[in-house]
Amino acid sequence: MKKAIVISGSGGQGVMSMGIMLAQTAVAQDKCATYLPEYGPEQRGGSAKCTVVIDDVDIISPLVKNCDIFLALNEQGYKSFINNMAAGGVLIYNSSRVTSKIARTDITAVAVPADEIANSIESPKAANIVMLGALIEKTGIVSLEAFSAHLEQKFASKKPIVMEKNRLALQKGIECAKK
Amino acid sequence: MEYKKPANLLPIQSGYCSGCLHGLATRLIADVIGEIDQVDNVFHVLPVGCSTLNLKYWRGDMIASAHGRAPAVATGYKRVNPERLVFAYQGDGDLAAIGLAEIMSAANRGENFTVFFLNNQTYGMTGGQMAPTTLIGQKTTTTKQGRDPATTGYPLKMCELISTLEAPYYVARFALNSPKGVTDAKKAIKKAFNYQLEGKGFCFIELLSNCPTNWKLSPLDSLEYMNTNTIPYFVPGVYKDKGVDA
Amino acid sequence: MAKILMQGCEAIAEAAVRGGCRFFAGYPITPQNEIPEYLSSRLLEVGGAYVQGESEVASVNMVYGASAGGARAMTSSSGPGISLKAEGISYLVSASLPAFIVNVSRGGPGLGSIQPAQQDYLQATKALGHGGFKLMVFAPATIQEAVDLAYDAFEYAERDKRPVFMLIDGCLGAIMEQVELPPMKEVTGKETMKINLRRYEDETRGPRTITPIYPEIILENLNKQDVKLYDSWAENDVKVEEFMLEDAEYVVCAYGIAARVAKEAIINLRQEGYKIGMIRPITLNPFPKKSFEKLNYEQVKGIVDIELAIPAQMRDDIALGVKERAPIYEYGRCGGILLDDSDTYNAIKKIIDGGNA
Repeated sequence: MKKAIVISGSGGQGVMSMGIMLAQTAVAQDKCATYLPEYGPEQRGGSAKCTVVIDDVDIISPLVKNCDIFLALNEQGYKSFINNMAAGGVLIYNSSRVTSKIARTDITAVAVPADEIANSIESPKAANIVMLGALIEKTGIVSLEAFSAHLEQKFASKKPIVMEKNRLALQKGIECAKK
Repeated sequence: MEYKKPANLLPIQSGYCSGCLHGLATRLIADVIGEIDQVDNVFHVLPVGCSTLNLKYWRGDMIASAHGRAPAVATGYKRVNPERLVFAYQGDGDLAAIGLAEIMSAANRGENFTVFFLNNQTYGMTGGQMAPTTLIGQKTTTTKQGRDPATTGYPLKMCELISTLEAPYYVARFALNSPKGVTDAKKAIKKAFNYQLEGKGFCFIELLSNCPTNWKLSPLDSLEYMNTNTIPYFVPGVYKDKGVDA
Repeated sequence: MAKILMQGCEAIAEAAVRGGCRFFAGYPITPQNEIPEYLSSRLLEVGGAYVQGESEVASVNMVYGASAGGARAMTSSSGPGISLKAEGISYLVSASLPAFIVNVSRGGPGLGSIQPAQQDYLQATKALGHGGFKLMVFAPATIQEAVDLAYDAFEYAERDKRPVFMLIDGCLGAIMEQVELPPMKEVTGKETMKINLRRYEDETRGPRTITPIYPEIILENLNKQDVKLYDSWAENDVKVEEFMLEDAEYVVCAYGIAARVAKEAIINLRQEGYKIGMIRPITLNPFPKKSFEKLNYEQVKGIVDIELAIPAQMRDDIALGVKERAPIYEYGRCGGILLDDSDTYNAIKKIIDGGNA
């Protein structure tokens, strides 16, 4: 089943690496995936958005108007793309930064205070992994096993503490989405 | 001593105008290539201009390049054939105007090939227009009253420019209008080629030349014109020699 | 071999290396920077050479030198840079030298926009340089297709002694998608040397001259050979995807990323009973004219040309096959604005319903 995921936030929040990690995990699971980055004119600090499409069969169009899943990492990103969600879609938003009231009633909205959670484990950069934990729990878009394996691989060359923090961030995200 | 045509020039008459020093420059390079036993190993990059005529006279591997691009073409060739002796032979319009970026960048990268720069202060092939090296006051078909620096700037001194760069290994200028200039130029050509064979990097040799046809002078008068006008501005000499300076 | 997720530009670069590329020269311009960035280190691993040229002009001339020297040589750029390469491309053709050239295109004209577009179709297919020549032009729609075509590019280039051109839009260059990479080809480099003019053939190894300048009669003969080359391309080398044409009343024509968006829209419209198919040129040169010629025009009511270009640039080529037997409609976005599945769906629907009305 074709699923389109839009992730948006500001440069430096790890938007692009979230998209790549999701797509790589999907391919590792023998699914098909496309990842489309869209930068603002600035590569750091400006707006960042990417679109990931995951399907069991070859993806025909990687360009979609309305997404099924939307990960909003900040207020600006939320405002820019909330109206590009298909009805019945899942919104996972970083409630540490998205301040608007969620007006749409035709979608499932999940609040994740990703920055607070990441700060609480003294790993502010892992807020994006918290978001992905919530995504995996809520949608099952990729399997937790495959994503964990991908994380292990990605941080294999880093200090063990980095992997530990990310594992923890992932777990916290999952727990948050379960509530 | 046996005096004969170098092995890598064809046994035909050159088509350069009477009194033109292009033929002499070509001959010097060809002689040296024979003397250092590189006839079968040399690769010659031709420019656009009078010296494109070498296509007809030169015997050896050659490639003709677009106007000004000889140093870029030589870069591509030499990078994939580092064992070959590669040289580009360029005129002043080709090298110092349209190809300024290519020559300066190849020199700055320290590409391991040799460039011979024939400076005759005009565009010979297209009929004597102003070149970047045309002297102040010199008359051409596009500076009929003589080159005026107020609108055309000053003649470009390529040896001086290139010798300010860090990478080039050997940079020198010679005038081909005297026996001593010819002898010195030949020694320098040999030195530059040997530097290349030793992998030392970029060598640049400027050869001051004439253009009797477009200067509208007799061959003999053109040589004298070089003494009184060209040489005082483009001063011959070695501008850089890392082999000696080191 | 397992599939891996790879970005379009990087996948094309890797496929070229596996296909024998051993020399690259280029100049930074968005959105193709990942090709030179990737090759700057990758080529050194395989004993090749990489040069960051001082300009696109210099870079393509470095490729000219490297190709003359026997290496499988490549350059890439985007619209404004391809315009600068026009000089060198024309010289490569004239000197009968193979090369692989990629345009990851963006909005134009001028500096235009750095965002993806398909506004270089006319340049790629009709006028890549002065003197009137054509190159084979590949226009893949998926990263896998781009990999497969890039892998074989040098085979075509050496067969025809002429550069092969790939035209993709910045979107396909930036997208990551799963690919299966082909194995490394064995290349010796020197054996690929193609010399267009041989003198002193009586000597065991005569001097070789590569020149883009010819006496008039030889030049005319060389130009005449192009006629045979283009005929042979049209006969043997057309690559095209024909999708759901059997009962199609409307036929969409699109290439590259636009074709993927259009195909999605077609599948959705089919579910509503609209009889639509698609002709997707994979080679823009040679253009799949026959695919349009052989359509049943008793059945086909219209052609819809969908491009990331306004006005549509492929239209004239389509018209040569359609021969006024059906109207040609256009839909597209340009200037760096992308198509999306939903708007494209609505646009096709509107054309068809309007056409019926």
